[in-house]
Amino acid sequence: MNIHDNLLGREWVDRQHFDCFSSKYVIGEVYEIRQLTQTIREYNARLKEDMEPVPGQFAMLWIPRVGEIPLSFADYSKQTARLIISRVGRVTSYIHENISKGSKILLRGPLGRGFTIHSKRSCLLIGGGYGLAPLYYLAKILKENNCRLKTLLGFKHSEDVFYVNEFGQVSEVHVSTEDGGKGFKGTVIDMLEKIFKEEESFDVVYACGREEMLMRVVQECVKRNIDVEISLERQIKCGLGICGSCSIEPLGLRVCRDGPVFKGDILLQIKESEIESDGEKICLRH
Amino acid sequence: MSKTLNNFSSIREKVSHGKITVDLTTSISKLSLRNPTVLASGILGSSYSLLKRVEDAGAGALTTKTITRDPREGYVNPVFVDLGYGYLNAIGLRNPGAEEFSKELSRATKNIQIPIITSIGGSKFEEFIFVAEKMLEAGCDALELNLSCPHVDGYGLDVGLDAKLTCEIIKQLKSVSSKPIFAKISLHQSQKNLLEKYINAGLDGITAINALKGLAISIEALSPILSNVIGGLSGPCIKPVALAIVYEIHREFPDIPIIGVGGIQSPEDAIEMILVGASAVGIGSAIVRKDLKIFMEIIDGIERFLLDNGFKSVKELIGYINRR
Repeated sequence: MNIHDNLLGREWVDRQHFDCFSSKYVIGEVYEIRQLTQTIREYNARLKEDMEPVPGQFAMLWIPRVGEIPLSFADYSKQTARLIISRVGRVTSYIHENISKGSKILLRGPLGRGFTIHSKRSCLLIGGGYGLAPLYYLAKILKENNCRLKTLLGFKHSEDVFYVNEFGQVSEVHVSTEDGGKGFKGTVIDMLEKIFKEEESFDVVYACGREEMLMRVVQECVKRNIDVEISLERQIKCGLGICGSCSIEPLGLRVCRDGPVFKGDILLQIKESEIESDGEKICLRH
Repeated sequence: MSKTLNNFSSIREKVSHGKITVDLTTSISKLSLRNPTVLASGILGSSYSLLKRVEDAGAGALTTKTITRDPREGYVNPVFVDLGYGYLNAIGLRNPGAEEFSKELSRATKNIQIPIITSIGGSKFEEFIFVAEKMLEAGCDALELNLSCPHVDGYGLDVGLDAKLTCEIIKQLKSVSSKPIFAKISLHQSQKNLLEKYINAGLDGITAINALKGLAISIEALSPILSNVIGGLSGPCIKPVALAIVYEIHREFPDIPIIGVGGIQSPEDAIEMILVGASAVGIGSAIVRKDLKIFMEIIDGIERFLLDNGFKSVKELIGYINRR
């Protein structure tokens, strides 16, 4: 077994076959848009072909003559995809301003590897802000697999809070805000520590959000010997694992192909500061 | 014999099956390769850890991404299109620049056992020389001049079609280093008289072929797909072109080693490329479908072919069809 199989875990390598996937664009039509916060919107689209993503996998959304961005599936069923898009850059601003009900969109995917789906296990889901998107689809699928779920959602301000009711339909939900305007006052990590102190135990933890937050989640889980899976973000270009743009250093793992979901302990081995100046390793949101 | 990656920490060069031994090694100029697979330029070669990973996957040699003097961000997405019968890319020579990459390359040359060929690009004589010297200082085993990138104005193909400039670059590099100099060429530079000039200037080997100029349109979007509009066509659809070019080069210049690149997706493709005259084969976009296990698949397949057909070494296959 070579070092990368070790890092990814043997069963991880075998779990999802990536020999056969499609990288051609599938056409979709937006049929519903919901404003979730001042800067975040949910887009629901009917697709001409089925994509059948695993929770945690992503698609590249192409806006002709504007750009192409990676987005995880916030939900998916029967040729219907839900994408959560935060207005953070050139392409996402264009989408907020120009994509409306009836607009056609082009998606290629599903790409990458998603979360491990367990059944009849006790699962803790931790989402930080906009990063909660793939966790909703994950929660739904875990629920269908008879898992016991608890979800922690952390936000900075009370006006950033979204998707609490949606998660509430499939999971027990706890919200934290740093300003204390809604739910627990503090960060999602403070809330996690409190839950761990109360001696609650879980079989597996899934987390998605800012990398500092993920690092803390992983450290807490490693201490307690709990399996943890995290979804990472880097600048994705080809989406197929050949251009090297999204490599995690010094591990040589590609976010778009080996991830974006990884076993949490790889986070403890990332040391990217030394080559950040090349401009390739800096996480760029769109 | 186990065919899994698990026990492949040291890649075999000679394999014994009872009394029969087959030799998978090959050479390109002064480079000795444990097997004929080479990571093609532009694919995964932008950091030490990625290069190391491809070595671990079984490759016989590595080619880095094309390195330019200054960092290049590359083009905005989309940069890659899967056409089904091939791929179109316009990444835009994205790379961290010579200064930054030389640190990665120093680490790579210290920790990687197989030969590392550094692909270099530029728009002027001075730029090529600056990058080349940086890469040689960092200890690369050979240089590959990118004379054929089809989608960056002023780079690649625009340089490669200027025979005088190319020959000056080759002569200058030969005067400062004894490391082999290769040129990556495309269909457009395969004319005998052009290659003859390169070779007379001191070129040690040829990598053929680069991606062909291509364009993909989406009729749903009424738009080109690549942000750069024009890209480089690679994958299975260019294999017959690559085979023809390699065949002709080998026929005209039998002493010049060739790395045959273009649409190699299977052991059979690799064997075809070697039969027409390639001493080694470049693997690139096949990674899209098969990921890094493509290297072992090709190595194992070549070994099986040698055994099944009574050949003792890869070297016996090089240019076999030209000799008949």
